[in-house]
Amino acid sequence: MRVIIFTWEYPPRIVGQLAEYTSNLSTQLVKNNIETYLVTYHPYMTGMTQEPNGVKIARVANPVRTHIGVLTWVLTLNQEVERAAANIYYQAGRQIDVIDVYDWHFVPAAVTLKNALGVPFVYSVDSLEDHRSHGANAPFNMAIKSIEWLGFYEAGKVTAKSEWMRSEIIRIYQTPKDKIQIITSSTSNSISDVLNVYRQAVGGGAKS
Amino acid sequence: MKSSLSVMFLTWEFPPRVIGGISPHVFYLSKSLAKSGVKVHVVTCDFPGAPSHETLDGVEVYRVDSYKSPSPDFATWVYLMNLNMQKEAAIIAARLRDKIDVFHAHDWLVATAGIGLKHVFRKPLLVTMHSTEIGRRDGIHTSAERMIAETEAWLTYEAWKVICCSQYMVSHVKWAFGLPSDKLVMVPNGVNLQVYENVRKQDLKSFRTAFALPEEKLVLFVGRLVYEKGAHVLVNAIPKILEKVNAKFVFVGSGYMKDQLSTVVRSIGLENKVLFTGFMDEESLMKLQCCADVSVVPSLFEPFGIVALEAMAARSPVVVSDTGGLSEIVEHDFTGVKVYSNDLGSLAWGVTKVLLDEKYRNGLRENAYKRIREKYDWDKIAQHTERIYESVLGEYSKSFWA
Repeated sequence: MRVIIFTWEYPPRIVGQLAEYTSNLSTQLVKNNIETYLVTYHPYMTGMTQEPNGVKIARVANPVRTHIGVLTWVLTLNQEVERAAANIYYQAGRQIDVIDVYDWHFVPAAVTLKNALGVPFVYSVDSLEDHRSHGANAPFNMAIKSIEWLGFYEAGKVTAKSEWMRSEIIRIYQTPKDKIQIITSSTSNSISDVLNVYRQAVGGGAKS
Repeated sequence: MKSSLSVMFLTWEFPPRVIGGISPHVFYLSKSLAKSGVKVHVVTCDFPGAPSHETLDGVEVYRVDSYKSPSPDFATWVYLMNLNMQKEAAIIAARLRDKIDVFHAHDWLVATAGIGLKHVFRKPLLVTMHSTEIGRRDGIHTSAERMIAETEAWLTYEAWKVICCSQYMVSHVKWAFGLPSDKLVMVPNGVNLQVYENVRKQDLKSFRTAFALPEEKLVLFVGRLVYEKGAHVLVNAIPKILEKVNAKFVFVGSGYMKDQLSTVVRSIGLENKVLFTGFMDEESLMKLQCCADVSVVPSLFEPFGIVALEAMAARSPVVVSDTGGLSEIVEHDFTGVKVYSNDLGSLAWGVTKVLLDEKYRNGLRENAYKRIREKYDWDKIAQHTERIYESVLGEYSKSFWA
């Protein structure tokens, strides 16, 4: 299986928990003989590198340097994510099995790649805008929520880290319950759970 | 010979959605391209009452959700709209399976959609730069403006060829983004003469009375009421013109300067001589252009100046600022009158000269009409555009993307 992970933070650029989480996950995936690529942001360390753990990482910068908010920053960075992912796709003989996108930032790229090239994606949720902004409904928050909604709608599978998060996704976005799989990083078999989700996404989410 | 080319246009406006000059440009260019056998797929923003898909004279038009949720500001809306446009365009292009040869974006308003589509489908991207942020704003003053200017730079960087509608814009875009000369190509804007001929055949006497008294000359300004279009220069020139000629000044269009301009008009006591109509439907606008005794284009920045071309098609004499694309369209004293940009004395002189001399006025009309028929015909412009596509595809076929 060939997988691309999209995450807006990855070591050495650490913002929150996602950097460490995706780093551990990609290491585990390689150990399980999954060909693992990762696309992430870095302001200047751009290009493709192979990490000691065997993960191939494409780092992209934002071609637009000046921004008026996180939304414009994200919505211009996504084209670079698309470019990096498309390069991987074409160099791999047009064969990527699944994209795993972490949080809303790179959902637009995942949606485009799905519709353009037929690569399915898993939307892995770490946090939701409704919680981050304490239920604020200003245009700015609604725009982020609309991107989160697009992710839930277009994803083949969704992963959440707890039962509570799954119920919140259902409450806010009316996502079907059987589309959401709980992956707890504490359990020893979490990697096999992740691989299961990937397989289901590849099969259109129909098989279990 | 019929072509087998297939192109996807990305544009934020297409009739019936008309905001500026991009809409008519894309409309006529796509129709003329389709006439010569190019398959054109236009992906554009939706509009109330307009179908989400229709075939217009061989052109496939797709109108996509333009993101109606509230956005924090205009620029953020543009990027959010691009997210939907890119998704829908990807679905259409994927359904056509390798049938899109070229993506053609019109302005930064569809920059991110165009750039993304180029990379995921690995097809060449062309862009027509209809304007620039640094030109529109006469410099870059805010973060939002800088962000837009950098997005424009990125778009021209990603484009295989950058098309501009005038020599002025070629040099402006080259300067603004530091592009190599061989990346730029000039293809003029066009104008459809037939639609104006049809309007001119009608009896417009009673239509005219809604705007001006029979003894008043009709001076027409058409454009957004924003700084770069220079409506304020014409407003300030009105007292000087009225010293010599009895005229009515009609301003068609709206914009952020509208309140300011009407305040000026009120304060100098000329409300009975000036009319702000706001936005006007195309049919009425063409009638009004045919009625105008002079059409004034007092722009401070003008990439092309389509409104001057339209006035010439309506056989209205034109007075334009000697700036940007207008300098190339109008030949002074022959097809129109050129005046100094941002100079109310010069503008008043030009307008008065045209209004006081009927013979001179008619001479300008005839010469201008002859000139645009030779130079600004959409079918010729489409053929030129098609040759650009072919040369880009020739280069592309030798690249590792092909």
